[in-house]
Amino acid sequence: MKQSITTFWVALMAMLAMPLGASAQMDFSLDEAETEGEAGAEAEGGADMSFGEGEAEGEAGAEGEGDVGGGDFGDGDIIGELASGDDGMGGEMEQRERPTETVEEVFAVQQIYALRLNRLELAPSAAFTINDPFVSHPAVSVALNYWFTNVLALGVNFLWYQWGDPTSRESDLNFFVRRATRLGIPITEWQLGAHLNFTYVPFYGKFSVFREFIFQYDAYVVGGVGMMRTRPVPVIDPEFRSFDFQTRVAFNLGIGLRVFLSRFAGIFFEFRDYAYLERFESLDVAPTSVDRQDEGSWYSDSTTFTNNMTVQVGFTLFFPFTFEYKLPK
Amino acid sequence: MVPTMFSSKMRTLALAAIAVAVLGGDFVAPSQASAQEVQITGPLAGQPAVRRMRLYRQFRVLLEPNFTFTLQDEYSRTLFAGLHAGFYFTDWLGIGVWGAYGVANLDTNLTDEITGKGVTDDRSRRSFPTAGGFPDQIATMTWGAAAQIEFIPLRGKLSIFEKLFVDTDFLIFAGVGVMGIEERDGDAVNACSDGDTACFIASQSARASRVALGPTFGAGFNMYFNNFIGLSLSWRGMPFSWNTSGFDNSGSDDGDFADGQIDESDRFFKLNHMFHVGIMFYLPTDPAVTD
Repeated sequence: MKQSITTFWVALMAMLAMPLGASAQMDFSLDEAETEGEAGAEAEGGADMSFGEGEAEGEAGAEGEGDVGGGDFGDGDIIGELASGDDGMGGEMEQRERPTETVEEVFAVQQIYALRLNRLELAPSAAFTINDPFVSHPAVSVALNYWFTNVLALGVNFLWYQWGDPTSRESDLNFFVRRATRLGIPITEWQLGAHLNFTYVPFYGKFSVFREFIFQYDAYVVGGVGMMRTRPVPVIDPEFRSFDFQTRVAFNLGIGLRVFLSRFAGIFFEFRDYAYLERFESLDVAPTSVDRQDEGSWYSDSTTFTNNMTVQVGFTLFFPFTFEYKLPK
Repeated sequence: MVPTMFSSKMRTLALAAIAVAVLGGDFVAPSQASAQEVQITGPLAGQPAVRRMRLYRQFRVLLEPNFTFTLQDEYSRTLFAGLHAGFYFTDWLGIGVWGAYGVANLDTNLTDEITGKGVTDDRSRRSFPTAGGFPDQIATMTWGAAAQIEFIPLRGKLSIFEKLFVDTDFLIFAGVGVMGIEERDGDAVNACSDGDTACFIASQSARASRVALGPTFGAGFNMYFNNFIGLSLSWRGMPFSWNTSGFDNSGSDDGDFADGQIDESDRFFKLNHMFHVGIMFYLPTDPAVTD
């Protein structure tokens, strides 16, 4: 650690003393593992300064010959180099690449980048229905999952559809069909959806971006059961009919892709089908006003199996943010 | 004892020093600033992020017979058989073309409903001469083609059940597309005078072909089974204007009302979705491999 302190002060001094036009490379070596025990108190010129914990780790005092961060200052006598004014602080500081170093080890089996085991996942998202050309059903959604194995989670998700201006969600297609063919297209309005789900991760992998940046991702299958609250929008006989939201049992099945941006945060893209039995407005209108007020005639006689195919895009956060691997590398 | 981390205080100070140094360097000597390099010691020192990586695309030709179907269609969906070909200058950039011919058109449920239950009268006869003939008046795609730049920013691998490992990449593309479409012939409709029911009925199946031009873009996911064969799944969007229904939708000077003519004013700009499934073949069959 003293090596780091040394490096820090040297870097700071070099920067402060840097003359106009100088551009010496700053050195922030982390090469403590290799130089442990060699970092000389003498070389630091301020070895009695302490920056708290970890100081004892670099207590072994050597003679200062360690290669401080790349060792581009000749024989390692950094103070001497700085004092000489030729290389470190002179007016003609040499342009040299002095790369910093970190320690990396290779293990036979690398640990999984982001463990899910025993973590809670919070995933807010936006949801869009993609298979209904007559009316759109955008929703805001949030999911909460608990991962009781690294590949299996139990969770709930909630979608809220009733926001914004519902009248703007009906497609122009309905109007043109009505006008040309005299056919009303029964449509529905959704209020919310709440579902209990299992999530399973059979696929995982990683992506390299231009062979430089590596992102971990996984692909998952999600499915479960829940409910949706929907109601018909009166288009066949709006003069007399109005509908309240009713609860429908819904099953869902989907697949998703989650890309980790860190060990606790990521983005996800999900395609899910929420299937349920919908009861639409009746296409038949009673002949008299009295009969038209009979609520029993407002709904169609049969239910219709409806697939609400949804794309959800959102963020995912894992709690706690940090975790410990059960087994060492 | 192997100290490997800064204390948080030290890390903060070091980061502050870095920030000051960088800013100081920028302000004091911006003309001579040079980038830092982080060098890793140990076995990975100086090694690239990925070693022995197969460059599936670099300087190779792709031939991909594919099957395409349209999505989110109002009246008719089209199934295409086609070919995607490409040449890649690097593993992440190339050019490609796609061409396909519509082998089948499937009516949507809405078309079936209109055919079975639609009602026509004198006011709507121009748009909708008969219910039974409605499938003959809807527009269909007949062929499509595109030239595109293909960008492959992500390259990786996928583990399936921790048993099967396949190389993958993610592709996005953009370019120019053309779509051959067949619509109800407006000239045949416009030649009919009001009340001439027989003329309108005859015009219902009259067809006119044209080519719609528009941008095209999309994204895809590819999996490689061996050095030169893979599976490609991709989505394509191609927006252009067309009259999918064959109705007299708009054009009136009084607003967006029918004007008694079926022409270009009745076309609506629509984002047309397609999904491709293809088998990729790369030539030559052996890819380059990085160090």
